[in-house]
Amino acid sequence: MREKSNKYLLAALLIGLVFHGSAIFFTLENTYDALIHLFFGNHYANSWFEPWNYSWYTGFTVMGYPPLVHQCIGLLSFIGGLKFGLFTVALIAILLFITGVFRFSLLITGNRTVAGYAALLAVFSSSFVETLHIFGQLPSIVGISILMHALPEIYLWIKTGKKKYYFTSISLIAVTVCSHHVTPLFGMIFFILPLIGMTVMDVAREKVNSYKEVKLKLFIQTTFSLLKRIIAFGFTSVFLIIFCIFPYWINSKNNPITQVPIPHGSRDNFLEVTSSGLMFFVIPWGILLFLLPYIFYRYYSKRYIFFGLSITLLSVLGTGGTTPIPLKVLGDNAFNILTLDRFTLWAAIMSLPMFGEFAYRLVEGDLRNNLQERFGSVYYKILSGLFAGSFLFMSIFTITLGYFRPFQPQKINTLPIINFLNQDQHDQWRYLPLGFGDQMATLSYQTKALTVDGNYHSARRLPELTSRAVERLENSKFRGLEGIGSLQQFLTVPEKYNLKYVFSNDKFYDPILYFCGWHRLTQLENGIMVWEKLNVPPLSKILPFEDVPLYQKLMWGIIPLLTIIIAFVLNVQMILYQALKLKPITQPDFFKFAVDYKKFPRKLVTILHLWTGIVLLIIFYFVYQFYISNSSQLSPKNVIKAYYDAIDFKEFEKAHSFLDPNGNKSLSQFMLETAVQDGILNSYAKMDAIDIQIVKQTENLAKIIAKTKWVTPLEIIEKNYTHEVIKEKGKWFIVPNKIDLDIPPDQFVSNNGTEYFKHGRRAVSTQMTYHDDVLKQPVLEILSAKLIQYNKQYIIIGEVQNVDNVPADVVLKATLYDKNDKKLASFNSKYEIKHKLMPKEITSFKVNFEDIAWSKNTDVKPKTFNPNEFSPLEIIENPVTFDIQCAGNVAITDLYTQVALSDFAIENNHIKGTLFNFGIQESTIPEILVSYYNDKKELIYVDHFFMREGVRVQRKNYFDYELLNLKKCKTLKSSLENCFVNGLANESISNAVVPNRKTSQNQEQLQKVKGNGFDYIKIEINNYMGNPR
Amino acid sequence: MKKAIYILFLLSTLLLLAFGTALVSDKKASFELVSKTKNFVAGNSIELEFHPNAESEKPQLFIIHSYGKTLLDATREKGNYIFKIPENYCNKTGEISWFLIHENETIKSGIFEILPNDTTKTVVENYLGPRTILAGGKEFTMMVTVPTDGFDNPKKEDTNVILKHQFLQNVTNLNLKTKNFIAWYDIYSPTKSGKMLVSTECDNIATKEIESEIYPNIATNFTIDYKRNHEFADGNQITHFTTSNIKDQYGNTVSDGTLVSFLIKTKNNLVLKTFGTTVNGIASAQLLHPDHQEVYSVKGFVTGIAESNSITIIYKPIISTFNFSFSNKNRTLKVGPITSFMNQLVPDGIKVIVKIFHKDKLVATLKEETSKGIATFELSEDFYKEKNYRFEITTLGISKQTETLNYELHK
Repeated sequence: MREKSNKYLLAALLIGLVFHGSAIFFTLENTYDALIHLFFGNHYANSWFEPWNYSWYTGFTVMGYPPLVHQCIGLLSFIGGLKFGLFTVALIAILLFITGVFRFSLLITGNRTVAGYAALLAVFSSSFVETLHIFGQLPSIVGISILMHALPEIYLWIKTGKKKYYFTSISLIAVTVCSHHVTPLFGMIFFILPLIGMTVMDVAREKVNSYKEVKLKLFIQTTFSLLKRIIAFGFTSVFLIIFCIFPYWINSKNNPITQVPIPHGSRDNFLEVTSSGLMFFVIPWGILLFLLPYIFYRYYSKRYIFFGLSITLLSVLGTGGTTPIPLKVLGDNAFNILTLDRFTLWAAIMSLPMFGEFAYRLVEGDLRNNLQERFGSVYYKILSGLFAGSFLFMSIFTITLGYFRPFQPQKINTLPIINFLNQDQHDQWRYLPLGFGDQMATLSYQTKALTVDGNYHSARRLPELTSRAVERLENSKFRGLEGIGSLQQFLTVPEKYNLKYVFSNDKFYDPILYFCGWHRLTQLENGIMVWEKLNVPPLSKILPFEDVPLYQKLMWGIIPLLTIIIAFVLNVQMILYQALKLKPITQPDFFKFAVDYKKFPRKLVTILHLWTGIVLLIIFYFVYQFYISNSSQLSPKNVIKAYYDAIDFKEFEKAHSFLDPNGNKSLSQFMLETAVQDGILNSYAKMDAIDIQIVKQTENLAKIIAKTKWVTPLEIIEKNYTHEVIKEKGKWFIVPNKIDLDIPPDQFVSNNGTEYFKHGRRAVSTQMTYHDDVLKQPVLEILSAKLIQYNKQYIIIGEVQNVDNVPADVVLKATLYDKNDKKLASFNSKYEIKHKLMPKEITSFKVNFEDIAWSKNTDVKPKTFNPNEFSPLEIIENPVTFDIQCAGNVAITDLYTQVALSDFAIENNHIKGTLFNFGIQESTIPEILVSYYNDKKELIYVDHFFMREGVRVQRKNYFDYELLNLKKCKTLKSSLENCFVNGLANESISNAVVPNRKTSQNQEQLQKVKGNGFDYIKIEINNYMGNPR
Repeated sequence: MKKAIYILFLLSTLLLLAFGTALVSDKKASFELVSKTKNFVAGNSIELEFHPNAESEKPQLFIIHSYGKTLLDATREKGNYIFKIPENYCNKTGEISWFLIHENETIKSGIFEILPNDTTKTVVENYLGPRTILAGGKEFTMMVTVPTDGFDNPKKEDTNVILKHQFLQNVTNLNLKTKNFIAWYDIYSPTKSGKMLVSTECDNIATKEIESEIYPNIATNFTIDYKRNHEFADGNQITHFTTSNIKDQYGNTVSDGTLVSFLIKTKNNLVLKTFGTTVNGIASAQLLHPDHQEVYSVKGFVTGIAESNSITIIYKPIISTFNFSFSNKNRTLKVGPITSFMNQLVPDGIKVIVKIFHKDKLVATLKEETSKGIATFELSEDFYKEKNYRFEITTLGISKQTETLNYELHK
């Protein structure tokens, strides 16, 4: 029998290639995962047999992910570069997927036309579009496609027992295993088990006349008769799953995923988090949601009963945290490691044959007749038109989602960064990108410099990372406390990681960088700001790595490609015969079980209509909810909430529309006022919560206190705003607040000051820096140093002065020892120090000993977000002594001192002060360092306070600081004995530079206060400039 | 018996033969060093020649050199064995120990020395540090010179080196001799600040100049002064503080950027602060005028090191009194117009604080800033529902109290 080429399949392939093939060039690089695969591809291109990669996470092994797809990208990159490899693999994946769906549908339905329809629909199915164009999960697509190709072979092996099919089927399974590890594992359960069930059913059916006669007894008998083949196949595939990626399993065993689970949207409750619901439920199901009754009806017929059970389980598991079932089925561990969206993807793919069947019946089959007869041809045409239209709409909506709501920061031109890293041996240190999104992978594969961050979180090794649910440091601001907390540990002690450069693509991180002692180096031409930290040693020439035995390296490098070659050799004949029609081939067995589409069940049509109605109702409900929550001027509370929402998202025009139109504040005036405000709240904060309390309310007037909570990179800020709101024409409006009327005294200001510049190397040379060009480290002197105990924590405090004639950058590291001189803890000073000191300037400092947060399972993770919080290190032994290593380096920036404390009052244990900025730069975030002294004028504690708003040029700003209660603060030891500056003993420095120090001068500057546990305070000001000129 | 004798004879012959061979091998080969030179000059090729006394197997030469140990094979020329020392060894000065090895035994050993090559061009390496020192003669910078030959070998002991250093008009030449390969000298800082240039010379080969910065020493006490536009406490103008030219004990102006803290004590003993950094020894800082009558006593510090005299600044109040009026059934309180010392309106932004009391209990504290000399307070009926209130108005350090006022209520 000669067969015609299947025109639907051909059309599907052509359309698929053109549609996806052109779209991937605009989407793939903006997806979540594609660049990671590119990075891995680059690894194999450079070192095929060496699994250790130094680029990320202070080194990690690529044996944590099945290698096939990455190796293919790496291999193809030798022809036309890495991206060529990526896109070629993507094109192959598209072809494999379409043909895979065709073969799977053919197997299920036994009807070539129906399978052709299914292939055509697969091209546009929203789950496939999402997986490819939004998630970029190439290995997953390749895995499931090959699995679908394997299914008919498995069926034929079990049914016919021909050895040929045994080999073809297991060869394809091997390829699946090498491309994706999760797919064959769950594929065994969700695809192959039901398939075996169906095969047994078919064999049993052949023994009787209809499926109705297949009873349990016959089914079991048949199962036993086929058991040998089933077991043979089962054991071989389990063996292959273990053998093909054996090093992967060993690696998983040696480095089990002990890390804290990273939240994933697919585990959310979709009804609560509607955005996750859209991404992980509505889009992958797409138009199939309307067809669920049909799909379940068909899969629950006797032949497909096992597929029915499988798809039910898949769709329930895919609902994530919406129902408690997935958590119970999978258990805590698997639930938190797996991303549950893949279950929905598989369910959607499993539905495709039935979707094809439905489409066939709708277009040219019995459903058409049914509808036309019952409702007339006009209704039929409208319905099918709407159906086709919404199907295509879903597809286009999905593919363009990334255009309308970008998932990634704008594309970054990495070339300037790479040039920077190549210059001047900058790649001898590690770097850290911030705000790059998944594009950090692009940067990583283009440079040989290393980063502490990475983009494959299962491979993280540093406890600072694994103990927190932080996917990447790079986007830590989205991970709240844990993110910023993790980041700040890296920024405070960067020398531990040889981290010297930070590339910041997000202004949000600027304050934390500054207050951790970093400074801006230069802005690259692509707008990326380079931050630098001094006193960080370069990476050592030899870096540690974990070696694996040679046989594993060989297996890893050879087996995956070998599986492709074997599978190709075994399967290519069949494919060629089928495609070229060289030789008539016998129709496979499953054609015998095709169903005649004669009469579409009447009841089903009714149910489908009802179901569509229900789905539409749900959609309308959500749309309506969306609309209602957006109406803002219904009540005083609503208008305040809407106002702050608008302010938070910087929608100032919208915010202005909530202001009383009679309040004489024009939009341009409002915009002007917001534009001149700067500071941590206005420029670096994100609103976390708002609590609105009505103080007084009459019918048309209300006084409201808005208790707002803002997340900033430095700390959480709570601020109360008082508003009056009035009702006009049935709508509530906010009475605009009055603006600061203060006028600066001078219109034109001049300023003289000292500015600094240092040449790196005076000679243009790539050699080591000349001896002549090495600057002497500025001499610092530690004036006092104490070990104190406060709130059960051990803290080191003290004062340090830059006694040199050049400005100094100060890095101060304190270490605690017990009575046996055993080291207990070590940390750097963070916020409580001025990191940049002018000549002869003094700063107080404090060193907290931080632990890696939540490194113990017993630690209760705080629910709320407070970046200022840290986990104090638990010190079991009593620290007896301490040392301080202080290093100075010549600083040339961030030396602004022209902010005066111009007024001051102490009321009710609060300091209310006024800062006045007399220089010509704006102090965006002024930090107040408050040092506490006892009655003998000895330092007992140091605290810090960030001002909420900046101080503009020639203007005042006010702060209100609550003094601490230090009655329980104990000084354990006060000694300068083990203090070192630039490696020299502090004592030798103090004898040399300021031998006759007048200590009374420092004491004379203290402010007498009646405090709880202290008698004097000192105030110092540390100015962060957001936009230095 | 004959047989026995025969065997004995054979055995003894064998024994003799065995002895014979042993005797031959026991006779040691001996070699004589032909080249007697003990000193070589770096850069020239070095060969050790040995004459064998008898025919023997090739000996080997084991040498220990500061570059490392190695084993050399001989070449044979005219019956003598010649060992050629590798070229890179020949270029490096120092002692070389050699051991002639024959059949795994050292049979001769000796030492020779390679000396610096004075015929090659002299190269002078010099190092200076620290690169910045404080004026006053207590600190020094150390100049270290290593004159070498063309092969980077330090010159021999007591080589003459001339050290030159310039500071201001003085150029000093010093003759030094190398000891342990180097010549060094501590240059103590002069009492003046500035830049010192240092170079060295050896065999008419001079180095480039290296500079060391002499920074001024720590500051000594200084005086401060102030300047202001007028003497009134208007809360708006700025008082400028300047220091005298701050110098160290040797009369050098302190480094630019030296931080001077100005400490301002108010009449209530509150400590205010402003900061200045020096430019050419003079630091200047600014402070806003207070907004009430005030006496500031100001002192400057380079903390721990130097301080200034204390100066007193008196700020006169700009008003002695102000007007206020109620209107709109006492619902509007207008404070002002407040006029300043020339009867002009006060600058915008002067703070006016109104405390509202009901039956001597503080109900609210309102704050407004003046605009065109006037601050207006609206007392909305919705929020102030009592029948009477009393007010206390404070601005620019002056407080006024009102009578208890009565309010009508509509509801």
